[in-house]
Amino acid sequence: MANVKLTNVKKIYSSNDGTHKKDYVVAVHDFNLDIKDKEFVVFVGPSGCGKSTTLRMIAGLEDISDGTVEIDGEVVNDLQPKDRNIAMVFQNYALYPHMTVYDNIAFSLRLQKMPEDEIYERVTNAAEILGITEYLMRKPRALSGGQRQRVAIGRAMVRDSKVFLMDEPLSNLDAKLRNQMRAEIILLRQKLNTTFVYVTHDQTEAMTLGDRIVIMKDGYIMQVGSPTEVFERPKNLFVAGFIGAPQMNFIECELTREGGEYFVKPFGVKFPVDGAKGQELKKANPSTGTIVLGVRPEHIVLTDAGQGGIPCTLEVNEMMGSEVHLHVYTEDGTRLVVRVPTMNLSQEQRDHLKQGNKVYLKFESKVMHFFNKETEQNLIYA
Amino acid sequence: MSTNNSMKRSMGLKASARISNTIIYIVLIAMSFIWLIPFICIVLQSFRVESTWQVGYVIPQKWGLDNYVKLFHSDFTRWYLNTFIIAVVTALLQTVIVLCMSYTLSRFRFKMRKALMQFMLILGMFPGMLTMIILYRVLKDLGMTQANAVPGLILVYIASSGMGYYVSKGFFDTIPKSLDEAARVDGATRAQVLTKIILPLAKPIVIYTILTAFMAPWGDFVFARYISFGTSAGMNVAVGMYNWLNKDMINSWYTMFCAGGVIVAIPVTILFMCLQKYYVEGVTGGAVKG
Repeated sequence: MANVKLTNVKKIYSSNDGTHKKDYVVAVHDFNLDIKDKEFVVFVGPSGCGKSTTLRMIAGLEDISDGTVEIDGEVVNDLQPKDRNIAMVFQNYALYPHMTVYDNIAFSLRLQKMPEDEIYERVTNAAEILGITEYLMRKPRALSGGQRQRVAIGRAMVRDSKVFLMDEPLSNLDAKLRNQMRAEIILLRQKLNTTFVYVTHDQTEAMTLGDRIVIMKDGYIMQVGSPTEVFERPKNLFVAGFIGAPQMNFIECELTREGGEYFVKPFGVKFPVDGAKGQELKKANPSTGTIVLGVRPEHIVLTDAGQGGIPCTLEVNEMMGSEVHLHVYTEDGTRLVVRVPTMNLSQEQRDHLKQGNKVYLKFESKVMHFFNKETEQNLIYA
Repeated sequence: MSTNNSMKRSMGLKASARISNTIIYIVLIAMSFIWLIPFICIVLQSFRVESTWQVGYVIPQKWGLDNYVKLFHSDFTRWYLNTFIIAVVTALLQTVIVLCMSYTLSRFRFKMRKALMQFMLILGMFPGMLTMIILYRVLKDLGMTQANAVPGLILVYIASSGMGYYVSKGFFDTIPKSLDEAARVDGATRAQVLTKIILPLAKPIVIYTILTAFMAPWGDFVFARYISFGTSAGMNVAVGMYNWLNKDMINSWYTMFCAGGVIVAIPVTILFMCLQKYYVEGVTGGAVKG
């Protein structure tokens, strides 16, 4: 159990094999993060954002080009992975194919020259927790994907490591198994009670697992915060678009101020920014003009004609079971997605939601987001 | 009706497969027989005791082990021991060097890595014979020729062994790097990664490396003759036995020569018979292993 501190960490890749002209790619820029003891931090972002590279720098599998990584107060930049007292679960499981499940799990303990009876106790204990006791004498090739991932977790579990690193551990599993394993990781975290750093590109995993989420793009940290924080108070357009599914709708519109109150006018329909959001906006006091308005699909409601709603045409109706996702386009051709709980729809409304029919939308102003068009920063929280 | 037709067709296919298999087997048996004739002749001659001369027939009139007994009372035992020491030491050292080199080139990224690989590739295209004169000079200055040819030959054989990294590097490249990384995180040093993870997974290629490293010095003639330079104590079997073939000695040593040939073939045959399964896997394994 330990805290992990990254200070101005940078990763530069260069072609240094002597045959090519030197090319530099900065994969991670000035990364600063203080991960507290026993905290579960998730790095999330699209492919190539530097999340795995950062994790691998913590693990010692990548050299650190600049800055420092500290584990439990000790700078580990020059320490080999074996000397960092960390455990890691890999995306492709990385099980040793020539060893049985038992030997795979016992490998690190044998390297520590632990007595065999203690190894036996630890391995069987871990196997019991993960439900793989009956497979202990099998080779990895005789296991399913889910079982292999459990072995990989078991291998990391048996060591009393300070930090538990996981590099997209669920991305090779099918959707159903992924949900199941996600729940198991939450339980595992409670049992192990250690510091976790978890990398994923799946925002659902990030939201459900993390105490704090680090959202990354092109090697930069876009925002660090709790799942609620990044969902409700995204600092910029990227975070707003990345967190939440379906993605937040972005609409260019005018922000005006009349009599001290702010108004937005998407598609020619004027909405007041009232409630707490209005107060926050007033406090931030942004200048008026063209902004990007962000509205989550679940914060758009259907209204009847003549109620001041934005007129749209329904393009696609996706029935998801408990909710419907409506893909609509406005009169100027802007596409929006609306998420409506099925139970809120009357039979008449359901019958009406067919391709080509007109629908009218209203935005919930208390949960709107406002972004600067140029800097893409949130006008309130940036 | 259609069932009848398909049955007839499948019977026709079976018959044609049987005919083509028969032809293939006949050709293979004939080829094996032709290939084996010289070996069979040597084995038969080695048991001939009625004369040591070359004769016009293959099957001995009198059978016995006289040739083998005489062989072991000649310099042959010395040559055999020399060859065995050279081959075993070379096989061990060369295998270690080749595997370490291959692992390094497969797993580490360092300056001039590609340039080094290309340089070795080009260097390997020059025939080894070109270096013979200078090597002799160097070994002579080091006192490693003639009676001391054994360490000299070992040095020559292992000196350039790192250049034979291609096959095993190709095999190592197919082993996922995440296994190395997992082992390193688990607490293994680089050397432990090689010995505990990579080598057990690359067993076929290790066997292949040992076999090829053993075979080359076991049957070498040119370098061995040059460096031993006429001194019996420094000769290997190929060089020593070649001397029996000169026209003054051939008639009194011919059958012993055959017996020597049989003894020389025994360890290699045993090695191949035991390891052939891995050998074939090793040669083809790197290409198909995903």
